[in-house]
Amino acid sequence: MFVENIAYACVTRFVENGQERREALRWIENDLSTESFTFAYFERESNRLAAVLKQLNVKPGDTISIFLPRSLQLINSFFGILKNQAVSCILFSTLGEEGLLDRLSNSQTRIILTRRSLLRKIIAIKDRLPALKKILVTDLDDHQDDTILSLKRLIAVTGGLFDYPHMVDKETPAFLQYTSGSTGKPKGALHVHGALGDMRQSFRDIMQLEERDIYWCTADPAWITGIVYGLIAPFSSGALQAQYSGSYNAASWLKILQNQKVNVWYTAPTALRMLMQEDENAFLTLDFSSLKRIYSVGEPLNPEIYHWGRKTFKVEIYDTWWQSETGSMMIGNHPPMPVKPGSMGKPRSGAEAFICNENMDILPAGEQGLLCLRMGWGSMFRGYFHNDAAYAEKFQGEIYITGDLAWRDEDGYFWYVSRADDVINTAGHLVGPFEVESALLEIEEIVDVAVIGADDPLLHKKIIAFVKLRNGQAWSRELELKCRIYVSNKVSTTAIPAEFRVINRIPKNQSGKILRRVLKAVYEGKDPGDISTME
Amino acid sequence: MDLKERLQQVFVTVFDNDAIELTPQLTADDVDEWDSLSHINLMLAIELEFGIEFDQSEIQDFANVGELMASIEEKTRTLK
Repeated sequence: MFVENIAYACVTRFVENGQERREALRWIENDLSTESFTFAYFERESNRLAAVLKQLNVKPGDTISIFLPRSLQLINSFFGILKNQAVSCILFSTLGEEGLLDRLSNSQTRIILTRRSLLRKIIAIKDRLPALKKILVTDLDDHQDDTILSLKRLIAVTGGLFDYPHMVDKETPAFLQYTSGSTGKPKGALHVHGALGDMRQSFRDIMQLEERDIYWCTADPAWITGIVYGLIAPFSSGALQAQYSGSYNAASWLKILQNQKVNVWYTAPTALRMLMQEDENAFLTLDFSSLKRIYSVGEPLNPEIYHWGRKTFKVEIYDTWWQSETGSMMIGNHPPMPVKPGSMGKPRSGAEAFICNENMDILPAGEQGLLCLRMGWGSMFRGYFHNDAAYAEKFQGEIYITGDLAWRDEDGYFWYVSRADDVINTAGHLVGPFEVESALLEIEEIVDVAVIGADDPLLHKKIIAFVKLRNGQAWSRELELKCRIYVSNKVSTTAIPAEFRVINRIPKNQSGKILRRVLKAVYEGKDPGDISTME
Repeated sequence: MDLKERLQQVFVTVFDNDAIELTPQLTADDVDEWDSLSHINLMLAIELEFGIEFDQSEIQDFANVGELMASIEEKTRTLK
């Protein structure tokens, strides 16, 4: 079965249909200066990038990674990669060397796009990446050697036209989204062009944008929400959206809501919680009357923040739930359904969700268990790249096990409880304890370590590292700083532990597995329960 | 080393980036790795380097490096 290439549906189709001058996106710089871009712009510029990749002999199925902060170049690169039927992999620009190495290595990245300020991280690991052939640097004036090339120079000799098949087999790989598990390295969830239908339909059903509504999704495109509901769904729906080049800044965000007259805003609970910490006067002097609805994703939207948001912005807030693996929103709230504060909402049209026990028996309303989905929707990931075993673990027959614990009420609303595994959801980012522990174990003063997540009023979960120090080694602020910097630069800023606890012995069972529940109990001052399996 | 040189060294260490050039106008938006999480590292590193302390409200208040340097100068002067 053939479907539209995502890039065709997002940009080329509008140019073909005579809507090339239609406004697609308002780009807001850090100083809040704004420039408007049409579909013709994205078609032309992504064609140029596509032509560069073609010249470099990129073939369908090759992985091309984008290691850039939010930028127009990132968006054009994404569409240019898809036009070649290559596989896009957008990476957070805050990734450290090891985090980058894990992803570039697993994805077998052939070409990476980056900028000068990030180049050093790639150079540091280049020798360990045999598949990596070219590094295209957006702000380099001249080619540095045969590998490190100036994208500007390559683009300068291309035209604005690029011929490519607009229809592709629905199973054609489109992009990889890396996500963390409770064990092992990050896993790349592979999505295909056939996912487009679900992405677009869920956007229409849940966001319900009206003609010329202005939509703002605050997610970084390296996050699944940023790709699907910041790029693919709004572009392919012809929505007019605002995008901000900067990261979170309360004053700037509030001005964007006002100045851009944002109608529908898709953001995260952590952002709302950070806004809640601002002085009330910051909101009173601004006009949010254009805002019709707020949507939230990433972590549970707790009732406190829900009520604060409704009071402050005077609109309804709809929580949504989905994962890197599901490819589109699966459970959510949307008009006209009444919102139950704190609930994830109900399964969207086409999604079948239920709660199971460990034997995969479906549980009745009111009972807590594993949140599961029945296979059969189009945007489902097609595998973890080069990791079939991890993929197989996510399924029991036709049932996908999400890894979240939840319960369903009598009215069919779902309520999130926690992760069922050890993955830590901090400010919407999933962090695997293993990644943090591996980095900390490289520090000479530390001989053993265990990482857990603990409740946090701002981040949902914060990362706590229990460390056992080398004999004679004392804990100090200097050592804490060393650990924090090391994790930040090796793994990612999102993986930095919020707290360190020095411990004499890391509790493990007889097979050496860390007993995280014991550490959680210790951290929370509770009874650790049965410790008979402890070594 | 003067204050700017010492601060430059702190930035290089915290962000593991030799290419950072401190200017008074430099902000978090100009440094790829400088986000709200690594900002805590930066503040802790500055406190240790200069023997000063920031209170919680000060930590998020610096609009740019110029304001940060002015605060460090003020605090180190008070120490003398």
